[in-house]
Amino acid sequence: MKKLPIQSKNFIYEAVKYLAALSAALLLGVLIIKLQGQDVAAAGKAVLFGAFGNISRLGNTIRWVTPCLMTGIAAAVSFRSGIWNMGIGGQLYMGAFAATAVALYIPLPQTVAPIVCLIAAGAAGMAFALIPALLKRFLGVSELITTLMFNYIATLLTTYFTKLVNGISANNNSKAMATPLIDDRYRLTTLIPKTNASTGIFIAIFFVVLMYLVYKYTIMGYEMRQVGSNIRFARAGGVRTNRMYLMIFLLSGFIAGLAGGIEILGVYGKFTANFASNIGWDGIMIATIAANSPIATGFVGILWGALKSGSLYMEALTETNRLTVEVIQAAFVLFVTIDYRGFINRLRENRNRNAAKAVKGA
Amino acid sequence: MLDTFFGSATLAAALRLSIPLIFAAIGGCFSDRAGVFNIALECFMLCAAFFAALGTFFTVNPYIGVLCGIVAGLVCSLIFGLFVFHLGSSAIVVSIAMNLSAWGLTTLLMMFFWGARGSFVSERLVSLPSVNIGILNELPVLGKILGGQNILVYIGIAAIFVMWFLMYKTPFGLRLRGVGMNQKAAQTIGINTLKYKWTANLITGALCGLGGAVLPIGGTSIFSENMTAGRGFLALAALLVAKDNPLTAGLFCILFAYTEALALGLQNIGIPSQLVETMPYLTTILVLVIAGIKQKLSQGHRRPKPAKAS
Repeated sequence: MKKLPIQSKNFIYEAVKYLAALSAALLLGVLIIKLQGQDVAAAGKAVLFGAFGNISRLGNTIRWVTPCLMTGIAAAVSFRSGIWNMGIGGQLYMGAFAATAVALYIPLPQTVAPIVCLIAAGAAGMAFALIPALLKRFLGVSELITTLMFNYIATLLTTYFTKLVNGISANNNSKAMATPLIDDRYRLTTLIPKTNASTGIFIAIFFVVLMYLVYKYTIMGYEMRQVGSNIRFARAGGVRTNRMYLMIFLLSGFIAGLAGGIEILGVYGKFTANFASNIGWDGIMIATIAANSPIATGFVGILWGALKSGSLYMEALTETNRLTVEVIQAAFVLFVTIDYRGFINRLRENRNRNAAKAVKGA
Repeated sequence: MLDTFFGSATLAAALRLSIPLIFAAIGGCFSDRAGVFNIALECFMLCAAFFAALGTFFTVNPYIGVLCGIVAGLVCSLIFGLFVFHLGSSAIVVSIAMNLSAWGLTTLLMMFFWGARGSFVSERLVSLPSVNIGILNELPVLGKILGGQNILVYIGIAAIFVMWFLMYKTPFGLRLRGVGMNQKAAQTIGINTLKYKWTANLITGALCGLGGAVLPIGGTSIFSENMTAGRGFLALAALLVAKDNPLTAGLFCILFAYTEALALGLQNIGIPSQLVETMPYLTTILVLVIAGIKQKLSQGHRRPKPAKAS
């Protein structure tokens, strides 16, 4: 699953770390399933079948892998350069709404319709990332906090916009509010009939590969990483850090907004208020597990999407709740973040110190 | 119209809504002061809300429910502290993972114990009784707002002042602030920084526990899925705006709760509630921006320090 660019001597440590985290998370999952009085093997089988069992299940998996890859890469791009863009969820909402709005109000010929919608989505996400980026660069306001706050502003604003589309007094129940369906010519092409797998997956894969290539082979990628590891050093080395910082932040917002657009054009066909409650956080978790490497993000994103699709199927088939899988995912993240090496070193240090003390005492 | 803004119903609702925020925010102040960036307040509160409901359900005693809430908050902060202080995990990532798993876990437990999804109502879910403090009820205007609330409302308001005192007027508070300001310096004069961080973290857990407990048994007698619905982040906004001062944080919580209460009233006269509800978040950003500008100006003509990309 993991292919991190690490030196060979680190590889074993990393592999053990991921395996340990995975087994700990799975153990927790087994416990939770048992607690629900369910059959662990049946649940596991259902998840596997639900993810890859037949062509239509596969289509469903592709549907979920798409946003996981997009939000994952959006998070990875920003984190890799030391930018805490927590606002991926908010940028995704703005992008999703922008795509819907264009589709509803601007008549376009079939050939360009989805492309224009997607560009609008990306631009909206970018615009929503611009303010935190500027505030951080020029006033030193923590982007972590502003983007967090912008998430809530985005959900509230898009709910309000949806209301405007429907006419203010149409329906006050904000939980179930949605715009009318967009016309078919704005939608992305469906890959597998009767599933929600759309050409959006190619866009997602494109960004994963693009970022891999940019980091690996271009000067710009090198500079982007440098901004992350040491911004003062990067500046001293001639990187135009302000411009670079803004660009990375906007790129992250663009991808997040695009993810929202793909959700609408590829899957839902309309904007529903609060439609994607956790998908932004999923991206952040994926990037964290992947240690912000694009290729690893690709693999983890696929895993994440498969789990999502599988867990939905499992819930339909068995009595096991799909939230079980979400808890396992979160636990996996939690265990992966542990700095085992530092922990062991500290234990050793303590032991040595105690031993030294014992010697002194004697 | 005036009634919508200043009617005792709106103000009383604001007070009621502010209590969970107040507990969480003043609790969060301590962590933040100690230099621990904790955005898992949401998780702490949600777990506490669930276990407060569960405790009440089994004992039919809301006070035991409150106790369960506090314990749940403490356990959450123990997990958080274990990962962040001892296992070297990033506080932000741990927070996110905890927030997400809290939603899942509480919903799963809800189904496990009650077999319910969405929300759960039961007559065994007794709310805290309202307390009548004689003098308060008789006050001319305030009586209608302050009088006859449950005990946690009064504790919450008292806690603002107590915690402010703890932070600014006691040796413990002084050292805690020192730890957050400059950990190395605090270490040099012999302060066990880890101990202070842990204490702050546990205070956060316990207070978030109280805040969470208010939600199911502070009058509504209901537990619903993801009951906190972003209140942890609202509390975070309040403490950030207040720069970790419990007194100011408490005031901002009341202000934020007021906008929430107002949103419902304004909805009726045609002003969309969503726009009113963005106020707390916009306020937070605005305050941070003003602080940023101030800092920029005070740096004067010196070359601006390169901002850290952290």
